[in-house]
Parts: sequence; structure tokens; C-alpha cells
Amino acid sequence: MPPQTAIAVDHISKSYGDFRAVHDLSFEVYGGEVFAMLGPNGSGKTTTMRMILDIIKPDSGRISVLGGALTDATKDRIGYLPEERGLYRNVRLLEMMGYLGTLKGLSKAEAQKRSLALLERLELTEHLKKKVSELSKGMQQKIQFAVTVLHDPDLIIMDEPFSGLDPVNTLVLKDLLLEFRDKGGTIVMSTHQMWQVEEMCNRLLMIHKGQQKLYGAVEDIRQQYAQNAVIVEGKGNWAALPGVARIEPTENGRKGAVLYLQPGTTSEQVLAAMVTAPDTNIERFELAVPSLNDIFIRVVEGDAS
Amino acid sequence: MNKMWIVARREYGFNLRRRSFLFAVFGVPLFTFVVWAVIFLAIASTEQNLDDIGTVGYVDQTGVITDPTLLPDDPQLAVPYTAYDSEESARKALDARAIGAYFVLPEDYMETGTVKIYSFSGIPGALNDSIDALLLANLSQRLDSDIPLARIQSPVTLTIHAADTGRTLTEANLPALFFIPLIFAFVFLMSSNVTSGFLMNGVVEEKTNRVMEMLITSVTPMQLLLGKIIGLGLLGLTQLVVWGIAGFVLIRVGQAAPFLAGISFPTDLALIFVAYFILSYFLLASLMAGLGAIAGSAEESRQYSSIISLVWIIPFFLITTLIDDPNSPLAVALTLIPFTAPMTVLLRMGFASVSAWQLAASIGILLVTALLVVWASARVFRWALLLYGKRPSPREIWRVIRQSPDTATVTARSPQEQLS
Repeated sequence: MPPQTAIAVDHISKSYGDFRAVHDLSFEVYGGEVFAMLGPNGSGKTTTMRMILDIIKPDSGRISVLGGALTDATKDRIGYLPEERGLYRNVRLLEMMGYLGTLKGLSKAEAQKRSLALLERLELTEHLKKKVSELSKGMQQKIQFAVTVLHDPDLIIMDEPFSGLDPVNTLVLKDLLLEFRDKGGTIVMSTHQMWQVEEMCNRLLMIHKGQQKLYGAVEDIRQQYAQNAVIVEGKGNWAALPGVARIEPTENGRKGAVLYLQPGTTSEQVLAAMVTAPDTNIERFELAVPSLNDIFIRVVEGDAS
Repeated sequence: MNKMWIVARREYGFNLRRRSFLFAVFGVPLFTFVVWAVIFLAIASTEQNLDDIGTVGYVDQTGVITDPTLLPDDPQLAVPYTAYDSEESARKALDARAIGAYFVLPEDYMETGTVKIYSFSGIPGALNDSIDALLLANLSQRLDSDIPLARIQSPVTLTIHAADTGRTLTEANLPALFFIPLIFAFVFLMSSNVTSGFLMNGVVEEKTNRVMEMLITSVTPMQLLLGKIIGLGLLGLTQLVVWGIAGFVLIRVGQAAPFLAGISFPTDLALIFVAYFILSYFLLASLMAGLGAIAGSAEESRQYSSIISLVWIIPFFLITTLIDDPNSPLAVALTLIPFTAPMTVLLRMGFASVSAWQLAASIGILLVTALLVVWASARVFRWALLLYGKRPSPREIWRVIRQSPDTATVTARSPQEQLS
């Protein structure tokens, strides 16, 4: 599928009084990709999502969603999962889903049918006569997700979809999301779980204090932050290898060592030297690409200093 | 289907099943039925007593009663009277249950008017009336006049003609004069407050539950606001229809009771009522919705709604003024102020007619105000929906309604466009 643009955000800014929530932000979300919005709490992620959804208006800048300004018809093609749960607490599940579904343009019968199918998929069938207030936090989150995708949207925007879910339910949700993506749907999500981004997302935007810090493909960004270093596990006299500047233990205390290379030395050259060195046994050899977690912390702390 | 109607249908269906609503709709007429039935039975039981008491004796020590059968032709007053010579003989007859009661006209009756009545059971009110009539008839015999007895008994039979509307009130339907406007005012207050209260609660609940974020990414604030107002307005009308049917049945049943016989269903008042109901409901509901959006919590919203209700019922506190002088400047002022107009007009209409220009001006001002408030509420609505936990100042609210350029959170489109 060609990367047609699902969302185009063009130089938007938003202030609340003296507080600059979002400042001159621009980015695009391509159709069919999983796009991550990262940033510390209060960095402007939710504000940006709300501006995309036309819940609030930017002070300046333009936003185009699914090919233009947001209309009634476009709203029906978008699913939204707000950060704090937005569900009626004292209405039976099926009735509530029916109402929210018809508001997204489904017929009553269709909304009912899809609700039942989704509840079954999410293993919530036995609760369908219950009210939201009678469900656990994790189940409520699953219901919230079901409402988001109930009307089979083209684009879903999710503010921390995995918060409050146990590992099993996280997996159920992730499978559903990937299925949605495989059918051509576009996903925008914010999360604090960096490994989810590494696993699921094609591209990311990281904002801090309302401004763009990182933007691009997940792999590119990781490479960009990669230092000229390799991680090695095994036996051998690493310090004697040509081109190795210094050696440090791996960060989290796992086995192996980080070999920082001299400028101009490539990882291939080090590997070749290792293979030919005597009394050497290599169990693991990889590029020391930092995790998104590290990058995240580095960006935020870099800003603070 | 337009999304506004989906919202309306949901609000109607959901609130229809509320216990408090069902209680108001069915409980109030049921309660009224019970009260009326009790009154009905009480009257029936006193009538029974007059028959039970049978013959009534009397001891006339002044010679006033010349003819004990001299009574107006009224079955309510027909009691067989028997004369006794002395209190002792009357007492014996009473002890022997030959008579149900006896009364004594003492020698100083002419000076004092004192009458003593003796009975083992109570004295029914109808017996009082009968003795009254008996004495009046006998006393009037002594007057040298050709005035018919009926005129002395009842010099006034009132028929009030309202000069400009031609509406005629006779003495028989005088109760209607007082009760009907009060009943209408009560129904009005109950119905419009219950439904607009639901509206406010709904908005506050959706806001605190954050469902609002789900809703306004599906519909426009205007669709949501109008859908709620229409859905709950229809709910209020449902309540009125049920109450109207109940009232109709009550009046039909009531025809059997003499004191209610004169009451008929006042069609003209009902029509005015419906017009005011619809207009002021729109005003009240949109006001409640706007305030519900601004309110940070359920408690706060209840404070707002109680203040509004208080303003609404001001005419009730001034009811004596309105009855004494239905055309006083105060009454006219209250008629023109949109918040007090519905109650005032209903109360005034019962006692006198309201001139056509006042009615037209009152409805006109109410209509314009209602439209303005719906429009202002829609603006505040959108802006206030995401103000979690903080209360905006009146100045901020005013700024949003005027929509100066620095409040970009407010939609730039006109409400009309949003509807389409």
C-alpha cells in the first residue's frame, strides 16, 4: 500500500493562558501504519490527540484527517480511546455499546451484532448483561477498546491503550490491534511502554514540553542514537583487539561486555578480528543499539540539563 | 438518521425507565386519586350520619319556631323535627333513642342567639345547616315583608363575567377558580424541573465519566445539546399526557361529588399552558445544560439548579398580590420577565384575564430569550466540557459566549452549520 497520509499536522500550537501545551508541531501519519506518540507526562500528547479529533481547536496551524478537515462523515471513520476511561458506569454493556455504535453511524441491529462478536472475542460474553461499574479495571479497558473499534473505523487514536492491563490481556489487545493493522487500518497510540513501540510501531513522534524531539521510523531513530559499539558475550581478550577503545560491563548487569570502538572502526572489522583471534569463543555478538527506553530517558534528561 | 435524533431517542428511553420519573408520572396521580377518594368517603359518611340521626327534638322556650316543617326545598336540609315541652322530656326521648339529638332555644335566645344541642354521637355539619335554615325560616315569618324566603336564605348567587374574554364563572365552579391555576402551576413546575434536572444530571455524569470525550468525537456539541433537550422535552410531554388523562378521569369521577361538580377542563388555560411549557422548557433545559457543563461536580450543579428553581417559583410567593390585583404593575412585570412569566401568567389567568398585548409580549420575550440561551449554551457547552475539576469565572464564560478571538477552543462555525 502506498503511504497515503492519514493525518497531516501542520505547525500547530496551543496555549492555556501562559502555559504552552503544544508548540509549532508538525508531523504526518501514513495510512496503514502504527504510529507512536511518546513523551513524558504532561508533554502535550493528549492535547495533540484532542486537536486531531477536533475536541479542542489549535491556536494556530492546520490539521487534516483522512483527507481533509474533520467532518461528521470522517468522525464515523475514526475510533478514539481516551486516556481516562469514557464509559457510562450504570448502563448495561450491550445497551451502552449499542448507543455509542449508533452514534458512529451503525444501525441498531448492526451495533448489537458487532458488540456481541467483539465481547465474545474479548472473552466478556458472560458479562454482557452487567454494568461497567461491576467490571474490573482491566475488563473496563477491554470494553473501552471494543467501543473504539466497534464501528470498524479506518483510523484509531488511542491514548495509552495498555494501561491497567495484565500481560495476558495486553496480548489479546495487541493481537486485535495487529489484526486491525493487517486489514489496512491506521493506528495512532501513545504509551509509556517502550518495548510495545519497538515491537509494534513503524514510526514514532516524541514530544517534550510541547515540542518535537524525535520523529521518524523507529529503526532509524534507534540507529541514529546507536554509538559505535558492540555487545559481546563469550571468552576472549577483547581489549587486545584492534580498534577497541574501551570496555564496559553491560548496563543491566547481564553477561557480556560493551566494546566501544575507535572512530573509523566498523563492527564488521571487529567481528573479523575476533573470529581470527586465538582462544576466542563468541556466544553473542550484536550492535549496541540503545533501547527506546534509553533514548527516551536521554532525550528528557538532556533537555533538563 | 440524524445523530441528534439518536441522542434524543436515547435520552428519552433511558430516562423513561428511571425510578424517580416513573414515581412522578404514576405516583402523583395515584396520590391525588387516594386523597380525593378519602375526601369523597368522608363526605359520604357525614351524609350517612344525617340519616342515622333520624328525628331531632327541640325545646323552644321563646316561641320562635311556629312551624317545624318550614324548611327550604333541599334534601340536604330535610330533617324531621319534633317539639318537646321541657328539657327533661327531650332528654328522656334521647335516652330512649327515640330521637337522635335535640336542641334547646333558651329564654334569652333572642338576645344571645345561643342554641344548645345534645346528642350521643357527633353533630353532622348538615344538621347545623338544617337547624340554621329552620330558624331563619321561622324568624322571617315574623317580618312584615313580601321578600321571598329564598332571597333571605341566600341573597347572593354569584356569576362572574370576565368582561373581555366572555369567560363565565358561576358560584358552583368557584373552586375551579382557585384550584385549576394552582394545579397547572404545580404540574408545570414538577414536569419542567424533573426533566431539566435529568438533563443537568446527565451532562454532569457524562462529563465526570469522561463519556463526553466519546460523545463529542461522534456528534457535534449542538447535536448533543439539542438531542438531549428534545429527548427530555418529549419525556416531559409524556408526563403531561399521562397527568392530563389522569386529570380528565379525576374530573369525570369528581362530577359525582357535589363540591367538585362545577369543575370542567379549562381548554383555553390548557392551550396557554402548553405554549408556555414548550418555550420555558427550552429556556430552562438549555440553561441547565449549560450550567451542567460548567459545573465541576454533581453537588455544584445541584446548587445551580436550586437557585434557578427558586427564581422560577417567585410568583408563588407573591400569589396574594397576584390575586388581589391581577393587573398591578408588579404582575405585569412578572409576566414579561421570561423566568417568572409561565407561573405568573398561569396564576393570573385563573383570576382575571391577561390582556392580549401582555400575553403576546410575554411569549415573544420568552421565545427570544429561549433562543438566545440555547445558542449561548451550545457555545459554553463545547468549551466547558473539558474543564475537568476547575470552575470558570463568570468573566471567562461571558468571553466564550461573545467569542473573542483569543478563545480558539470555541468552534468558529455557527450553530446552524454544525447542525447540518
